[in-house]
Amino acid sequence: MATKLVTEKLSAWFGKKQVLKDVSIAFEERQVTALVGPSGCGKSTFIRCLNRMHELNPGARVDGKVFLDGLDIYGMDPMEVRRKIGMVFQKPNPFPNMSISDNVVAGIRLSGDARKSDLDEIVERTLKSVGLYDEVKEDLKRSGASLSGGQQQRLCIARALAMQPEVILMDEPTSSLDPASTSRIEELIRKLKSEITVIIITHNVGQAARISDKTAFLYLGELIEYNDTKAFFESPKSPITERYITGRFG
Amino acid sequence: MNKKSIFFKDSAFKYLVGGASMVVVGFFAMIFVMLAIRSYPSIVNDPLMVFGSTWDVNSGIFGGLPAIMGTLASSAIAVAFAIPISLGMSVFFTEYAPRRVRAALSVVIDIMATIPSVIFGIWGLWIIAPLVKNYVQEPIIGSIGFIPLFSGPAYGLSLFLASLVLTFMIVPIISSLTISLLSSTPAELREAMISLGATRWEVVRHVALPFSKLGIFAAIILALGRALGETMAVTMVIGNSFMWPFSSVSLFSPASTITSKIASELYEAVDMLHVSSLIELGLILLVITLTVNFSARLIITRISRRGATQ
Amino acid sequence: MRLISRRSKEKLIIAALVALTGAAVIPLLWIVASIVWNGVSVMSIEFLTSLPAPFGSTGGGIGNAIVGTLIINLFASGLGIPLGILTGIYLSEYAYDSKMGSAVRTVVESLSGVPSIVIGLFAFTLIVLTFRHYTGIAATLALGIMMIPLVAKATEESMRVVSNDLREAGMALGIPKYNITTRIVLSMAKGGVISGALLAFARISGETAPLLFTALFSFYWPTGINQPIATLQVLIYNYAISGFADWVAKAWGASLLLVLVVIAINVAVRTLGRKKYGGA
Repeated sequence: MATKLVTEKLSAWFGKKQVLKDVSIAFEERQVTALVGPSGCGKSTFIRCLNRMHELNPGARVDGKVFLDGLDIYGMDPMEVRRKIGMVFQKPNPFPNMSISDNVVAGIRLSGDARKSDLDEIVERTLKSVGLYDEVKEDLKRSGASLSGGQQQRLCIARALAMQPEVILMDEPTSSLDPASTSRIEELIRKLKSEITVIIITHNVGQAARISDKTAFLYLGELIEYNDTKAFFESPKSPITERYITGRFG
Repeated sequence: MNKKSIFFKDSAFKYLVGGASMVVVGFFAMIFVMLAIRSYPSIVNDPLMVFGSTWDVNSGIFGGLPAIMGTLASSAIAVAFAIPISLGMSVFFTEYAPRRVRAALSVVIDIMATIPSVIFGIWGLWIIAPLVKNYVQEPIIGSIGFIPLFSGPAYGLSLFLASLVLTFMIVPIISSLTISLLSSTPAELREAMISLGATRWEVVRHVALPFSKLGIFAAIILALGRALGETMAVTMVIGNSFMWPFSSVSLFSPASTITSKIASELYEAVDMLHVSSLIELGLILLVITLTVNFSARLIITRISRRGATQ
Repeated sequence: MRLISRRSKEKLIIAALVALTGAAVIPLLWIVASIVWNGVSVMSIEFLTSLPAPFGSTGGGIGNAIVGTLIINLFASGLGIPLGILTGIYLSEYAYDSKMGSAVRTVVESLSGVPSIVIGLFAFTLIVLTFRHYTGIAATLALGIMMIPLVAKATEESMRVVSNDLREAGMALGIPKYNITTRIVLSMAKGGVISGALLAFARISGETAPLLFTALFSFYWPTGINQPIATLQVLIYNYAISGFADWVAKAWGASLLLVLVVIAINVAVRTLGRKKYGGA
């Protein structure tokens, strides 16, 4: 299996505080990789380094390399990077000033890439791929903020997918959702990997076990263990990992 | 899509907003520069003349001291009148007034703050001036007129009337800030006092007012800054006379302010020195008001920092 | 004994507070009442649409002053609203916590504290003295500058309250910053920006001092922005101090019109604002 995204000795700081220490990891193409670890372990900072969002915080600094298909993303135009590596956030954040269909094509339209004619088709195709089309096809002109939480999150996934990214980063995408919405999104993630590389942060080890092919465990800014999900849960190598997955610390 | 054109638009927009801000900063700087340039003839003619006590257009003598003192006196008196009224209304508003009364009062405060100065002027000139003359000035002059501060004759248009009209114009400034300060008094402080059996007034006196002291002080300074620069209402009711304070120190005497002098003389001034002296007075007013406003802002910054650390 | 005195003290204090509140409220009601009382009697179509009658004769109206105020306000808005919005965007999105940003913010706040007559003096020194000609352009410059801090502050404040999540969502999609700023953040803040612009418009509609020695006055219909132009505000001042009974009556009529417009804009902004943000 080919590697898609590789980090080499990736470190990150907020001001003087180092939150990520020499993380080297290779993500495989068209696989779901789960990142787990206690809160404050640097998971969010880590994936925000993968689409160059970390550097936007005041006082933030990144060191090390990140390669997408062998090209260093820190040598590319950040906007280009973010179009290739999409992101879904913890809290659903559709643009409330836009309709459902405008939300889906917001990225295409506002990055100056409007081939007007096929926008309707993109809206339909993308909403279908996240299983939202049948629920909203009657009111595509309604505000994106009028949907339920789970629908909003699927809309945000659609918005990211509409850019046709090669990788999609998800930062605890189900943590604010009810169990039914969560399982719909988990199902969607499993489906997505036929076309796209998924990297998902979760604080729920059960979710990691259910949806991922590989799992990485971060602790205090360091990568402790990275393995096939099955092996990761059945025979953890590190005692810290074992303590974490058996729920013996929070 | 064209990467170059996006990069271009992104930087163009950044320069557009940055450039607009620089234009605004430029306007601000140019106010000083232009006023200084146009004051120059008066300053080189006699740097101290603006602080002289005589203003006589025909003899080319432009001493602005009566106007400067009039500006300071009318504003100070207005602030002194406005403090009890504003604090009284604010305490009534936050502590005693029922909901409906509160809603009505906040409409009143909003409207007061939006009524143009020239409207206060026409009201002061035609409605209040005769009443003040007949029912305030004449009785007071008749009884304690031997005190120079209250001596006659009663003109109606006077330093007193200008201060009174200014009072109503600055009450909404002090009140709206004081009301928001008083209503942000921490509830636990209030409850502690109430549980000790304090009356509402005691809570206000010993908790709410001390808690808001500094902010109220800043509000008063802001109101002072506004009063110092107020033009139309003052010009219409102060009488525009340089009698005060050198020929008569009476509050009931007509007087002048920097703003009333500029407003009533500049459009018909022909002598270059006359124009230049009026502009120099404007420059002095600018320096005074900015100093006053800046001190108020320093206090407000200190309060919000205190709020942030709590 | 002590309790009784505390209770009666409380009553006395309430009486004093009500009296002080009255001292603030009564003048306002009084102003509004006297404007309505004195202004209504001169109101007529002729009053609102005709030129002033020749000096000394009665009749005529304030039509040219109404048109003049509108012209000067529109040109001033053309200067002040765009500069205010752009400065507000700069402060909120490009320089929020930079040194440059706080310097600009200090200037903007200081500008709002500069007395209007001083801003009028600036326009006078820059334009009237230079071209030796009273002109509506100078009035436009002065009132436009006065609008800037009001609009900039409203823009900055209403853009700052837009959740940072939306900026991040935009960035994660690779949307360039100018589009995030204008199409997402500014679009969300639209209501606040429009309110700010309307309130600034209402504010300059009543400003008189900067017009006295810039636009001056005229008894004729405006012929161009570079000429002396009559305005409602200056008309009120000139007529009110004239002592000529017919003119004083017209000053009251003009005051009624001006106050109605200013209050209407304020009430409209407040009710619209409440409707818009009340539900959120």
